[in-house]
Amino acid sequence: MEAYLCGVGWVTGAGFGWGRQGGDCNFDNLPLPALTRKDVFAQPNQRFGRMSEYAKLGLAALAFALRDAGLEEWSEKRATGVVAATRLGCLKTDLEYQSSVLLHGGGLASPNLFAYTLANCFLGDAAILFGLTGSLMAVNEAEPDGLSALRLALEDLALGEAETMVAGTCDLPAPGGLTGVAPYPAGALFLVLSLAPPAKGGYGSVSLADDGRILYRGSNSSSLIDLVQAALAGRATAGIT
Amino acid sequence: MRNVCIAAAQVVTGLGSDLDSLWRGTLAGESAIRPFSRFATGRYHCANASCIEGLRAEGGGSRIYPLLERLLDGFPEVPADCALITASTKGCVDTMERHQAGLPCDPLEIPLGGLLDRIRAKYRLAAPGININAACASSTVALARAASLVAAGRSEAVLVVCLDLVSEFVFSGFSALQALAPEACRPFDRNRNGLTLGEGGAALLLMSRERANREGRPELGIVAGWGASNDATHITAPARDGCGLVQSVRQALKRAGIDAGEIAAVSAHGTATPYNDQMELTAFRTIFGERTLPMHSIKGAIGHTLGAAGGIEAALGLRSLQEAILPPTVGLQDVEEAAEGLVSRLAQPIAGRYLLSTNSGFGGVNAALILRRGEA
Repeated sequence: MEAYLCGVGWVTGAGFGWGRQGGDCNFDNLPLPALTRKDVFAQPNQRFGRMSEYAKLGLAALAFALRDAGLEEWSEKRATGVVAATRLGCLKTDLEYQSSVLLHGGGLASPNLFAYTLANCFLGDAAILFGLTGSLMAVNEAEPDGLSALRLALEDLALGEAETMVAGTCDLPAPGGLTGVAPYPAGALFLVLSLAPPAKGGYGSVSLADDGRILYRGSNSSSLIDLVQAALAGRATAGIT
Repeated sequence: MRNVCIAAAQVVTGLGSDLDSLWRGTLAGESAIRPFSRFATGRYHCANASCIEGLRAEGGGSRIYPLLERLLDGFPEVPADCALITASTKGCVDTMERHQAGLPCDPLEIPLGGLLDRIRAKYRLAAPGININAACASSTVALARAASLVAAGRSEAVLVVCLDLVSEFVFSGFSALQALAPEACRPFDRNRNGLTLGEGGAALLLMSRERANREGRPELGIVAGWGASNDATHITAPARDGCGLVQSVRQALKRAGIDAGEIAAVSAHGTATPYNDQMELTAFRTIFGERTLPMHSIKGAIGHTLGAAGGIEAALGLRSLQEAILPPTVGLQDVEEAAEGLVSRLAQPIAGRYLLSTNSGFGGVNAALILRRGEA
């Protein structure tokens, strides 16, 4: 089974963007940008400012990927699914929330912050903003290649669970005192995959081999970052500008 | 597509350390919800939960590991080629609490990958596994994923392990949202006023029917259908019209190749919050019309076990189909008008082979499973 790679969006320490905008996706070991609503959405968005840092990071990269695929605008809800892989999920939000619990014996705990103490919560925001009614979930992965979400999304496409899937990773840097718990590149990166060929040219095919390997344009991908960098490097050949 | 058999199922809940205890307790209308002393509750709206008796953290470790040991103690052999999916919303949340309070702990326990590593090591599993976080529908989504993998032939067997704890972290959050019932929760009651938290675990071994037969394993039931969707409406509240749940159930029915008339019983999410239960009743009336059929929620017996809820409910659903009896809805006093003819304070007979089990959660998540009675 092959799927078309239709869009790529990212937020990393080196910057943020999407494939057709130009620029490269590099997971440099630099601080992540402090995203504002204007960085992500042209129109006012009442929720964005109240979201946790983790949710903003994931939602921004997901929005950029949909924009790159020409799927950001919508008029009717669509059964698109999302799989977001993460190492530490919303741990930073958890720690902030737990601090508010410790302060006053729990009596002044923040309900708004609590709503963001699930790793999948930014997917709920994405569902509302982009009308996505497929299966949306976060997965904690233990493998270093970052390909878990892509593998799950390709399985969903192969099994007929959806015709379009968004898949990627989202992680803030490990909070202070916990830097040794899970080495990984901080940032967010999402891809849009579709069974139908993209209307305005795509980045080529992605497929899932029987042995679980991910193939991009028929070649083995060693990591999600490598796959995306190969896709972006081929933009000129693919006619994507 | 291959038939997906459930070859083993075990649970640990506030009602006891196995599925038999849960079965006997729910059938007898017992509740494990009571005042507890794990942390001070003076500043919260409620002082009750369903905690597992004797579950202690040793040496600053998380309670999740003693819970896991209890759950897998005596669980049938798991083949090494089995895929692994865990379902937990907060994993070692108590370790995170200790870390934040400056108490001795091992921060390496905090990432959920640690839970996967522990299970992999126990059964010498080759595949790395994943943890699914889809809020309170996590284990239903995990079971759906597992069934999907087996049905499509991508895996011969999948072990699904679902776990979540009662913690001050979560308790304070639901209290801040004013979602906790002051007393024990009352699902589908006219005067329901919130949920009660619980902790628990479930382990289910899914296999292709051929593999299970070849290995001489029992067929506790078949996962006939599954579906998952998002209602794209609100972060913490369900869609009033139940659109996401309806979509999930319809997907499950389609996959099972049956119509709604063949569903003989329903294990509802039934958290006992006003909005959740109303949403579910609206969705079920959309699906079943005015038909009466036995439906229950077990949250009044064991509390809301969050990411473990769907796994525990699926295991109990299998037993319900085997025994052709649906346990009562514990805590129910005065049935909500829209739930009349569905839920009961008494056990209800099941006349048919299919049981629908559903869960919903934060982030607009909904998931549904259709279980078919096994032949062993």
